[in-house]
Amino acid sequence: MELFVQLLANTLQIGAVYVLFALGLTLIFGVMKIVNFAHGAFFTAAALIVTSVVPFATVEMGMPLWAGYLLSAVAALVVVLCLGALVYKVGFQHVLKDLNGSFILSIGLLLILNGVYLAIYGGAPRAVPQVVPGTVNILGATLTAQRLALVIVAAIVTGGLYLLIERTKLGLALRAVALDQEAAMLQGMPYRRVALYGFLIGAALAACAGVLMAPINAVTPVSGDEFLIKAFIIIIIGGLGSVTGAIVGGLFIAMIESIGGYFFDPSTATLAMFILVIGFLLVRPQGILGNVE
Amino acid sequence: MWNRSPGLWICVALAVGAVIFALLATNPYNTSLVVWILTNAVLASALRFVLQIGELNIATAAFFGIGAYATSITAVFLGWPFWLTLLLAPIVAGAFSALFGWVTLRTKGPYFLLISFAVTEVIRLIYTQTNAIGGNSGLIGMFPPMAIDAYYPALAVALLAATLFVLYGVERSDLGRLFKAIENNDAIPRSVGLNVIYLKVLCVVIASAAVGLAGGVHAYANNVIAPSDFTYFVAILALAYVKIGGEGHPFGPVLGATVLTLVGQWVAGISAWENIFYGAVIVVTLLVFPGGLVGLAARARGLVTRGAR
Amino acid sequence: MQMAKWMRPLGAAALTLMFAQAGAAQETLKLGISAPMSGAAATWGLGMEWAAEQAAERVNEEGGVTAGGKTYMFEIVAFDNKYSATEGARNAQTMLNRDGINFIAGSIGTAPVRAMQALTERKGVILFNTAWGKSVKGPKYPNTFTQMNTPFEILSPFYNFIKEEHPDVKTVALISPNDATGQELEPVAVETWKGLGVEALASDWYERGTTEFQPIATKIASLNPDIVDFSAAPPTDAGSILKELEVLGWDGVMVMSAGTSVDSLTSVAGDAAEGAYLGASADFSGETATEVQKELNAGAREALGEPLNGITISAYDAIMALRAAIQKADSVDPAKVKDVLSSVRFESSYGPSGFGGEATYDYPQQMLIPVIVTQVQNGKAVELTRSNPAELDALLNE
Repeated sequence: MELFVQLLANTLQIGAVYVLFALGLTLIFGVMKIVNFAHGAFFTAAALIVTSVVPFATVEMGMPLWAGYLLSAVAALVVVLCLGALVYKVGFQHVLKDLNGSFILSIGLLLILNGVYLAIYGGAPRAVPQVVPGTVNILGATLTAQRLALVIVAAIVTGGLYLLIERTKLGLALRAVALDQEAAMLQGMPYRRVALYGFLIGAALAACAGVLMAPINAVTPVSGDEFLIKAFIIIIIGGLGSVTGAIVGGLFIAMIESIGGYFFDPSTATLAMFILVIGFLLVRPQGILGNVE
Repeated sequence: MWNRSPGLWICVALAVGAVIFALLATNPYNTSLVVWILTNAVLASALRFVLQIGELNIATAAFFGIGAYATSITAVFLGWPFWLTLLLAPIVAGAFSALFGWVTLRTKGPYFLLISFAVTEVIRLIYTQTNAIGGNSGLIGMFPPMAIDAYYPALAVALLAATLFVLYGVERSDLGRLFKAIENNDAIPRSVGLNVIYLKVLCVVIASAAVGLAGGVHAYANNVIAPSDFTYFVAILALAYVKIGGEGHPFGPVLGATVLTLVGQWVAGISAWENIFYGAVIVVTLLVFPGGLVGLAARARGLVTRGAR
Repeated sequence: MQMAKWMRPLGAAALTLMFAQAGAAQETLKLGISAPMSGAAATWGLGMEWAAEQAAERVNEEGGVTAGGKTYMFEIVAFDNKYSATEGARNAQTMLNRDGINFIAGSIGTAPVRAMQALTERKGVILFNTAWGKSVKGPKYPNTFTQMNTPFEILSPFYNFIKEEHPDVKTVALISPNDATGQELEPVAVETWKGLGVEALASDWYERGTTEFQPIATKIASLNPDIVDFSAAPPTDAGSILKELEVLGWDGVMVMSAGTSVDSLTSVAGDAAEGAYLGASADFSGETATEVQKELNAGAREALGEPLNGITISAYDAIMALRAAIQKADSVDPAKVKDVLSSVRFESSYGPSGFGGEATYDYPQQMLIPVIVTQVQNGKAVELTRSNPAELDALLNE
């Protein structure tokens, strides 16, 4: 029983970040029909900014840690949104709905951004202190309070996004464009503006994940890329463009990692994950919640 | 098809020139450079070949690896003759791709893209976890026989160039027209009684056999192969060659591979700046010349570009 | 601060121009570096490049190296091998046949090093490397020299020391990254523990780039071994696992054979890393470090934002060995330099050194440097013991 609870806790901890990361990716795909390989770069940018703003705010400005962290979160969000807008304006808006063109554009951007991060920050891992110290024991499963905080914030952000998509006018526009762009345009939807908003929301989600992960894992210039491949698998399983699918898929992959890593080893779990995805796609090519084209 | 395209004769002349250059050039760096360019050109052309049916096949990287491993395993462990090991590369890669295509080509677009991506990763992970084929350290000791060694670059260039011409020939044949028809709308070929899945698999098999051969050639040229040589990134770079060169014309990938390989070599030795520069070249070319370099050349000559989207 | 580094290629180009106009008073001898300069392992390549540049600067300031009546200045050319065999082979081809490089002062990664050997051995070019496998060594590869300690040097004294400190330990769990280094190290590690009467309860693998380590930590905590051996896991990965293990309440002996950077380890693991034993993480800023190491280490902190480690500092040692060998051979012909390298004496960053290892590899191509066991105490690496290989002791007593 205790083991079961611990494995469940592990699943939630791992899944929380995966879900945030995959949500952004799937949203961008849904609205713009592009596969953004540079999505991890938003995550990395946010995490790196946290690692430089927190020490500055706490040491140079004498702020308490929590305030410094909040400040860094705001700074990270602002910078990532600016970066996202720049990347969209300069690049992605010229390759909307061009799967291959946008794919290769995002690769080029990734090479540039990773190189720039390395030039500015160096390759050494950077860490910030835990903002919420201590460990928590729930039904025999132990986890750090910081991780618990991450799970809670991730759940709130995910819930907020869900409401935004389901309940607001912008959400309606995003859904309409994702479903049938031409019909939406005929209805008078400003497609380019909706696409920009979708892209920025996606980038902001990646930034959120980066900000939340910074106090937990050390940050390097390639931190975000390591989530990217998992996120791809998640959105395939969930169905490209499906918000609920990204949530279900994220938790599902986290579960395989948690259980496979425990009973076998992480390397085998990784391999199993890929094979499972292939098998899954053959049975249900459109993902759990994807629409048949 | 010969008399209609003077460009083809220029390409034949270029290929013959490349072989002669590989035969006569005294600096091994220059001959290696020609082999790298042509290997990349085959990878890019094969990727574009499958793009004809509208699919982006990341597993191109996997079949490149399967070809290289097939050649290396038979050469190193079984000691099979050189020509046989080289012949095996396209056959094994083609056979695997037939299985792969038969199973996966029911999916389309982004789903096929991502499934081919997953297959590539699985195959790479299997290499790393199989100690019998060297695990992560890979295989070592694929040397061409002594009698051929000195001419090997020229042989490699000749084989790779011939592969390019074969791909071109198929594209311009009736079969190639069928592939194109599938890309535009696969309901039409189906409505006239063609087996679309069979045609799609055939397209993937032809392209994979081509990269398989390139893999075998690469194994002998490099002498050492390792799983990290066959990541999905190989296919992504190949896509960059296609996009930069221009996917509207068969010569596009060749031109793209040539330009980007030369740029890559030009920036080699500047340590970490390499990636920034390389990425910038991709982004700028893509945005400034959407039809690729071939599209640009065609426009400059006042010709209508074909199919460049 | 770090931007200065990126300006250096420009500065070097400008200098080259000036020298060219001044009529090239001295000859330049190019030394190659082939290491990952992008991706997750970039920090090793950039550190190695930096250390090599410091060594070259020092040699040049001391008047360069004289051979055959000419004076040569060292110049470093660094190539990104992206950790792959293909790129390693390209690096070699470009270095040897485009840039005319005859001496490779540092290379990282087993697969790329093996790919380079195919060319360097054929052309008789000297290849210094940090590869951990036995497969790159032996009389078949007479031009290959290893510039740092490998498991065959480290594990026996390292594990023996731990067993002496903790005589009661009976069980160990190993965690290795699924990469060439991990695959080379793991069997030697299991065997060495067995020889000491320590049983391996589990030996698990994870993929490089794994970000979440709770599952493996949960498994280890439930096995409850006396020792967890992180073998070739990079310090950030080992740190993440340690942190999770602490949360789960495991409290035993922590062993890191390849834990190259204590800073990275403690920045990730914090207090959880306290007491961990490290086999390849000398403290280059402490009392036992040499003046050269302290100076290099401080400089690296300034320029790169992190201290040097056993891998990155090795380029300095290789260049010092090359200088001594070129002078002894009185030639810049790599064949002649190779012949004297195995018997040359030089001043490494650790102190006097030479080459040995014939008993293990059948050819003296292993740089002789002390095996230094350190422990994390208050977030810093503190040296507990150092043992010289027998050949190094013999050399010091000459």
